[in-house]
Amino acid sequence: MNTTALPGTPGKLAAQSRWAVETHGLTKRFGANTAVNGVELLVPRGSAFGYLGPNGAGKTTLIRVLLGLTHADAGTMSLLGYPVPRHRDAALTRTGAIVDEPRFHGHLTGRQNLRLLAAARELAARDRIGPVLERVGLAHRADDRVSTYSMGMRQRLGVAACLLGDPQLLILDEPMNGLDPAGIAEMRDMILSLVAEGRTVVLSSHLLDEVERTCDAVAIVDRGSIIRQGPISELLAGAPVALQVECSEPGRARALLAGTTLGARIEAASAALGLEITLPGGTGRHVIAEINRVLVAGGISVYRLQPVQASLESWFLQVTSRLGDPE
Amino acid sequence: MTTMPAGHSAPVPDRALQTAPADRSRDRRGSPIPTVGMIATRVMELRKRRGLMIAVVVATIGFPALFLLIRLLLHAFAPRTSPPAGGYDIFKVLVAGFLPTFGFIVAATVGCTAGSRDLTEGMFRHLVVTGRSRLALYLARIPGGLAIVVPLVAIGYAIVCAVSVFAAPTFIDSNVNIPPGLSRVGFENWARDRAEPVICSLPYNGHIPGNIACAGPPPWSKSAVTPGQPAPAKLEALAIKIASQDYSGYTSIFRYPSNSLMIKAGLWIELDAAVGFILGLGLASLMGQRTSPIILIIVFQIILTPILTGVAIPHLQGLQRSFVGLAMAHLEPSGLPMFFGLPGVTGGSGGPGAALLPESAAEAICVIIAWLAGWTILGAWRMMTRDA
Repeated sequence: MNTTALPGTPGKLAAQSRWAVETHGLTKRFGANTAVNGVELLVPRGSAFGYLGPNGAGKTTLIRVLLGLTHADAGTMSLLGYPVPRHRDAALTRTGAIVDEPRFHGHLTGRQNLRLLAAARELAARDRIGPVLERVGLAHRADDRVSTYSMGMRQRLGVAACLLGDPQLLILDEPMNGLDPAGIAEMRDMILSLVAEGRTVVLSSHLLDEVERTCDAVAIVDRGSIIRQGPISELLAGAPVALQVECSEPGRARALLAGTTLGARIEAASAALGLEITLPGGTGRHVIAEINRVLVAGGISVYRLQPVQASLESWFLQVTSRLGDPE
Repeated sequence: MTTMPAGHSAPVPDRALQTAPADRSRDRRGSPIPTVGMIATRVMELRKRRGLMIAVVVATIGFPALFLLIRLLLHAFAPRTSPPAGGYDIFKVLVAGFLPTFGFIVAATVGCTAGSRDLTEGMFRHLVVTGRSRLALYLARIPGGLAIVVPLVAIGYAIVCAVSVFAAPTFIDSNVNIPPGLSRVGFENWARDRAEPVICSLPYNGHIPGNIACAGPPPWSKSAVTPGQPAPAKLEALAIKIASQDYSGYTSIFRYPSNSLMIKAGLWIELDAAVGFILGLGLASLMGQRTSPIILIIVFQIILTPILTGVAIPHLQGLQRSFVGLAMAHLEPSGLPMFFGLPGVTGGSGGPGAALLPESAAEAICVIIAWLAGWTILGAWRMMTRDA
């Protein structure tokens, strides 16, 4: 393994670091396949950070490398300021994680599984078993065998296991999997409450709508590499805006707009009740007013003009290689 | 686009928690030494496996207890046709044959379970993510598993010892009440004092004079503990001869194991179980599964060990001597015979060490220590290097 630890005293570094997760050139290969390819990731402390990518993009592999579940082939990384793998034990002391589907000993109860995990943590972890079970809403089933739990309950138990160490950093891999809509909403609220307490939550998910609702910032990973990262608001600010136009004569409206200087900046597509115009990212509000003026001046009755900001999902689909446009 | 290129920093939200790292002065999470809590929860994890525990209890306690119970009942209801449940013979059969074989396999099964189930049931990665040393996670399984295996084997063995001692024969069902524990001379003296009952009751491979009448209700029945009637010197000599001839049978029927033999055999059986557990734990950790290692260990114990310890293979005797089964057989207490299925099974008879490849006790101890250390190192190494 060619990974090198970041220099410095671990405790001092941990206190000084503004990043909960920091990687530089992190690489993990499985034979000829490079699952994690020179990843540069910076996750700010105290944020909800989404880690997005299509299936097979290397999301879970990166998480496994960060947590020391498998080794890296190259690069440096730190968690909560502690270089890993050199100070892995210190880094993981205040880190909780769910990786893949949360699985437990089915013959033990939820509480007993947590006792098993708490015993591997500090003494105080044992005292947190009851409170974390309450927090994830499993207290009433805590003494039932895990084999009788639903997928959603196992997800909650996984979160409870994460919270045993009173973590500053939680890494949750697809935590919404298997949850019903109510469960998803509860999980979202829980994540937000954890972030509100000042913890950092790294959320790997393919449920882009949930990530958009939950996270402050995201990184998009594709084919092992991060292709975009930053606050969601900034990422989407550069995305195209769809302008829905409902008017009396859509065909003539399209021709009118094409004949103006705006024509070079808009793409109009016929919609059922009018036009849908795609405005490039960064287009000002004055362009919308100009479109309205052109249509009215041309004798077309405008019933509705509605700009629709691109969603994270549509933006994600645009930037990932599955649609053939990685950059 | 205003998106931040990959690798550039995102702003730190205002609510960021810039807490200092937790006080780790008392949290020796990187230490390879497991905590008491870790060991206790490993015991709990194994103890809660209902199927495994039932199988273990049945094999280590249930089978010998049932066998002895049946013998006790048969003897209670039909003492003349069913021999007593206890005694030295029964002790030898169970302690030199059944208990070590089943104890080894049961211990190995527990070891295989302890060594593989975290991995196959998905708990391994939860444990690794705690930051606890993987070596400590592995080592916690050893006392945890032995805390299950050792007491159960001890209970099964204690039952065997208790029945062997307390249900040992105290009289022969052919009307002569013979006290147990006599030496050869003592037995001959006892026979001399009760010449007529001895001549009429004990088996004798020789000629008995025809003028001795044994028909009818024996006047000596059940009262032979009191001094018998004086008998002619010729009869006393015959009784002594019969006693001398029957002494080996007497010892095998009446004798119960000595305290020192029971202690030695108990320690030997526990060592055998511990070896089985460590072997199972290491092999299962190495292979990452339970079933295949169990099958391999059973094949090793039941088939390979008897062959490798009893048959001298030219040019391979050094390798054969490195087998733990041979080493265990050499450490077997001297009062026990060699039976099939033993660790160190020879298939031979005629006393300890018969038909075994030669090996000194020191060599045997070294081999056992090497096996314990070797499998522990292999299992721990795999656990420390395995992708979770």
